[in-house]
Amino acid sequence: MSAPSPENYAVVTREVDTIPIAYPHPVIWAICFGAALVLFTLFLIGVGATFRYGIGMWGNDIPVGWGIAISNYIWFLGIGHAGTLISALLLLTGTSRRNALSRFAEAMTLFAVICAGLYPLIHLGRPWLFYWMAPYPNSMTIEPQFRSPLAWDFFAVLTYLTVSALFWYIGIIPDLAAVRDRARKRWQQVFYGLLSLGWRGSARHWARWDEAYRLTAVIAIPLVVSVHSEISLLFAAGPIPGWTSTVFPPYFVLGAAFSGFAVVSMISVILRHALKLGDLVTERHLDLLGKLLLATGLMTAYGYWSEVFDTLYGGDSQELATLHDRIAGEYAWSYWGALIANFVPLQLLWWKRFRVNPWSLFLIGLAVAIGMWLERYMLLVVTLYRDYLVSSWGHYHPSVWEWMIFVGMIGVFLAPFLLFVRFLPVISAFEVKAAIFKGEEPRHA
Amino acid sequence: MSVTGSDELARILAAEHPALAPALDGVARRSLLKAMAASLALAGLPGCDWRPDDDAMPYVNTPENVQPGRAKWYASAVTLNGIAQPILGKTYTGRPVKLEGNPDHPLTRGAGDVFLQAALLGLYDPERSQAPRHLGRPASWAAFDAAMQANARALDQVQGEGFRLLTGAVTSPTLARQIGDLTRRWPKARWHVLEPTREDQRIAAAQLIFGKSLDLHFQLDQAETIVSFDDDLLGPGPRQGVQARLWAERRRAFQAGQGGSRLLVAEPTPSLTGIRADRRLVASPRAVADLVQALALSLGIHDAPAPTLSATAQEWLGAVSRELSEKRGRSLVSVGPWYPPEVQALGLLINEKIGAFSKTLRLIAPIQALPPDDRSFAALVADMEAGRVNTLAVLDANPVYAAPADLVVRAAMDKVPLRLHAGLYHDETAALCHWNLPLEHDLETWSDARALDGTVSLLQPLVRPFYSVRSRHTLLGNFAGGSPEARTVVQDTWRQTWGSDFDARWRDALYSGFIAGSAEPFVTPTVTNRTVIAPPRPLSQALTLAIRPDPTLWDGRFATNAWLQELPKPITKVTWENVIAVSPALAEANGWKNGDQLRLSLEQRAIQGTAWIVPGQERDTVAVTCGYGRDLESGAGQGGYNAFALTATQEPWHRSGIALQAIGDSETVATTEPVHAMDGFDFVRRVAAPGASVAKESKAESFYPERKPDSPAWGMSIDLDLCIGCNACVTACDAENNVPMVGKDLVAHGRSMHWLRVDHYAEDPDEEPSFAFQPVPCMHCEQAPCEMGCPVNATVHSSDGLNLQVYNRCIGTRTCSAYCPYKVRRFNWFDFTGNDPEPIRAMRNPDVTVRQRGVMEKCTYCVQRIRAARITADIETRDVRDGEVVTACQQACPTQAIVFGNILDPQAAVTQRKANARDYALLEEANTKPRTTYLARIEPLDPVERGEG
Repeated sequence: MSAPSPENYAVVTREVDTIPIAYPHPVIWAICFGAALVLFTLFLIGVGATFRYGIGMWGNDIPVGWGIAISNYIWFLGIGHAGTLISALLLLTGTSRRNALSRFAEAMTLFAVICAGLYPLIHLGRPWLFYWMAPYPNSMTIEPQFRSPLAWDFFAVLTYLTVSALFWYIGIIPDLAAVRDRARKRWQQVFYGLLSLGWRGSARHWARWDEAYRLTAVIAIPLVVSVHSEISLLFAAGPIPGWTSTVFPPYFVLGAAFSGFAVVSMISVILRHALKLGDLVTERHLDLLGKLLLATGLMTAYGYWSEVFDTLYGGDSQELATLHDRIAGEYAWSYWGALIANFVPLQLLWWKRFRVNPWSLFLIGLAVAIGMWLERYMLLVVTLYRDYLVSSWGHYHPSVWEWMIFVGMIGVFLAPFLLFVRFLPVISAFEVKAAIFKGEEPRHA
Repeated sequence: MSVTGSDELARILAAEHPALAPALDGVARRSLLKAMAASLALAGLPGCDWRPDDDAMPYVNTPENVQPGRAKWYASAVTLNGIAQPILGKTYTGRPVKLEGNPDHPLTRGAGDVFLQAALLGLYDPERSQAPRHLGRPASWAAFDAAMQANARALDQVQGEGFRLLTGAVTSPTLARQIGDLTRRWPKARWHVLEPTREDQRIAAAQLIFGKSLDLHFQLDQAETIVSFDDDLLGPGPRQGVQARLWAERRRAFQAGQGGSRLLVAEPTPSLTGIRADRRLVASPRAVADLVQALALSLGIHDAPAPTLSATAQEWLGAVSRELSEKRGRSLVSVGPWYPPEVQALGLLINEKIGAFSKTLRLIAPIQALPPDDRSFAALVADMEAGRVNTLAVLDANPVYAAPADLVVRAAMDKVPLRLHAGLYHDETAALCHWNLPLEHDLETWSDARALDGTVSLLQPLVRPFYSVRSRHTLLGNFAGGSPEARTVVQDTWRQTWGSDFDARWRDALYSGFIAGSAEPFVTPTVTNRTVIAPPRPLSQALTLAIRPDPTLWDGRFATNAWLQELPKPITKVTWENVIAVSPALAEANGWKNGDQLRLSLEQRAIQGTAWIVPGQERDTVAVTCGYGRDLESGAGQGGYNAFALTATQEPWHRSGIALQAIGDSETVATTEPVHAMDGFDFVRRVAAPGASVAKESKAESFYPERKPDSPAWGMSIDLDLCIGCNACVTACDAENNVPMVGKDLVAHGRSMHWLRVDHYAEDPDEEPSFAFQPVPCMHCEQAPCEMGCPVNATVHSSDGLNLQVYNRCIGTRTCSAYCPYKVRRFNWFDFTGNDPEPIRAMRNPDVTVRQRGVMEKCTYCVQRIRAARITADIETRDVRDGEVVTACQQACPTQAIVFGNILDPQAAVTQRKANARDYALLEEANTKPRTTYLARIEPLDPVERGEG
């Protein structure tokens, strides 16, 4: 690929919109996709066994009735936060630097929310009755129990999924039209033609589109906050030491954004490398991600600190016991693991050279993703394995089936994401072009 | 040694079944069993007949017709060690579904234990022997009858020479009469008794000082001070229900300020009695014997040299002497049945000295029928070895498994040409016998048996046998060549006693379940021998082994009973196996941890078992329990080790000279309570005097509006001062509520399904911990977090204050369990009920839903009983009366620690209980406003500790 000429928007188009039509590394892609399908199969096997024999296949017990299914649910949903946050927030504030990142971040959100949404369904004792969570007219005249955080989870996740899908799709329409226009094969023309909804790029189209896009963004922003606040009530509403705390909603939202930015960083680095998008996803973007990561990380750290402070200040013996279990109990590795993985490598991001270096950013992002997984695990398991009554203390060790479903769930995430990378424009080309026109985006010399 | 391999067998076979003999040549028993499997499977249930026996008498209000869905109650009894445990059996259309203690019985007054509750499962047990077998092959009763007739004719010629009958303990007047008839017909025949957990040494002690056998009756309701020298007065066994009830009566009077209730215990390993004690001294078995001797010395009973006692022991003994002198005539000393007759005899003399005779200690003629002279099991084995036994008839005993290890039973069995085994199971003894004859269970048989005080209970069938089985009376007649019908035999006994009044009295006895006025009269004992001195004891300082019956499997007879296998042991909370209990100090010195595999060797024998550290156990005492390590044909009951392998005829319960070593292996133990410390919290609260009140927390504010309770508002009160941790409530709950058993692996995984658990706490220090029990059912919180958490309204509050679980609405999010501060909810991780065998399905309580996979379940306060009472009350247009609803746990509790009722009824027992100053809510700080509350334990300070000593 030749170096782009600063004046030539066609270069951007070529870089982005020709990927779906003539993918640069079909073999590597096929290998990756094959691997994702293998993982996906593992998911099906794990879920199949669970559905066939029951939740007993997992490591759950009494007292730890929830396991990594729920901690993963929160983790995936948290990851899903970054896409919308980056796109919608930056769109509304008119920051065009988001352009290179927004599309795949949104796609990541969409697939992460799907993964997250699957977990609570799989984890049901009788999953075939999941729709009882929904308020639908029924002969029993029973509605969901609206005091339950789970009922609101159901609405929250569903709403979030709908809005992020809409937001992502509206955003991609102009680029789909660009791909359609360059498609040579018949099936590509039909496929992209249908998806682009007859987009012709008229001024009226652009005006309507802009309205719709901004409106959806306005809806999406509060959702980012509300969804994870709501999810946090899953824990905070339970009168169990270690959970019942008012710090949970902001703590969860910040943690979610933190883990989301971490995963966006990782994906940016990978895509930038794999699709040779260095001209579009520039060091400035990496720098921005690094700063966001650092900022949300520090806010999350504040959440950690305030939780410990609350416990010590409150002085409740049960809460203190839970704090002790976190720091020195059977699962102390998850607390210290979370603390170290989340916040120690993060400190490197104070220096610009670590922010703009793809490798350091990737590794720090990975550390944070792992750290946040450990944090979710810690919040769930450490609280439940020893709650009030000593006589009911127990243990929790995820079974091989739960690990299988977790690994498989990564396949559930990767398989559609790879399809997206292969068949859809991964970067918002028209927005980049608009930015170049306005002179906001640097011209690639 | 297999049956088929013996020469005697070939001889018998050739004589009786010439056609079979060649086919059996060279056929091992294993391959025979394989061949049998299919035919046995087919011979199982098609023969079922669920109709009730036409002639059985319902307990009350015979309905005009059998109404499906309406229960009938029959009074009967089940037996433990031959002793009657009177019951009322609830049956639906001929199927017994629940047993309860008979509240009208003059002695037990409804008190029962885990074995009584679990007998129901014993009836339906799919592991039971279901048809007769000869040489391991299915056989017909006709063939058996023919063989017996021929054998009887031969025995008639020689006056029964060589015929030996071996039974368990017999209290049945009918069986005793039959055995008497048999020995009159065959004067040279002999009857032997083997009851592994019989109190032989206690009988011998009475013999020693009274010159005759007498049974001891502890009048615990009269005893304000009880001193137990390692006697588990409140512990498992046939005495538990009665003694716990009597003790609780005294305790309740004490709570009301009438007299004292002190319990002083010296024991090597924690027992239910020790845990309930006001002062518990940890003492080795040797030290316990010394203490008895020292107390006797201080009372001037003998003048042997004083044994040396430790400082703590002396202090304890000082307190004992003081209390005994203060409470003369109102105190009682008991010495455990594990101790040599001389030590127990000293205990009796102490009782004489403190004026206990005829007050707190009563004596009656023995209720057991005993062979006239030395017909011990040891004598039988000697005769068998000497070839003096031609026919051995084993009736409901299992010598091959349970005999003391110094008797070589297996080899001796081989020398008996004809061996008959009648039992409920195809057990270790059955495997060595020619004929295996399945017995009727107590709940499907006609018989009689005596309760502890001698009151005779009639056993009437609650259901017709659904296997091809015979009663013990019929079988005993069969052995002598006859074929009597069980009911006729039992009726004959009482016809002889009652004469012309028979019909009316028979019917009365069937109605009430016992024969009124048949108790043995108290006798005033005359001490004929006062020169008793405890035998010199070995001076070895090494480890002592204490062997005890198992609190859940007893002597192993319940090994196939899943309710008892999965019932957590009261103190260790271990299920599905027996452990080797070691003291914390010994474990630390050797580096053992819970779960380590130990090899316990004694003389030439050894067992391998799992180490379990028991706080409060004497340093150098190792405690084991009997009943495990079974070798049943079905493979059931294999967990744990067989402690009978360590017993000896002369020293059945305490052995010295043991060696214990780790074999470097560790295994997971299925315990329902891994941690027993209270960790500084106040789950179990204590007060120092009956009237004292517990510290209450200030009322916490709640976001939620106060719920205004409607009447009735159901609530429960559990008196921790009365709870002895016996587990009867747990088993009763299992039976009433169709609670599934899940097996060892799932229990170890934290998935036990008991709706009610009895938490056991042992607070530091390890050597002398402070113990407590706390039964924890669902609290039925008024502000229930579970109800808030459920997204689909599957757990909701009823207008009468119940926290309901709607199984068919539950989708299994498990939020309710995560939010439950008490962790009383249980989840159906798998399909626990779908694969139940047919008999287990028949046993289920039809009033209680059987839960599906994937739904949550928990204690319902026995909502089915509440609704039944309300329907009755509605029909009669009145309110439900206090005491009309009795939950299963409440009914089973021998000490009446559990009270249930309408807390808005000021007259109700539960309301009065909750008005007590000792009333407190568990985890009050969680602000859940539980309807189940507790009364604090009363632990008065010792006079010495009060500074008055």
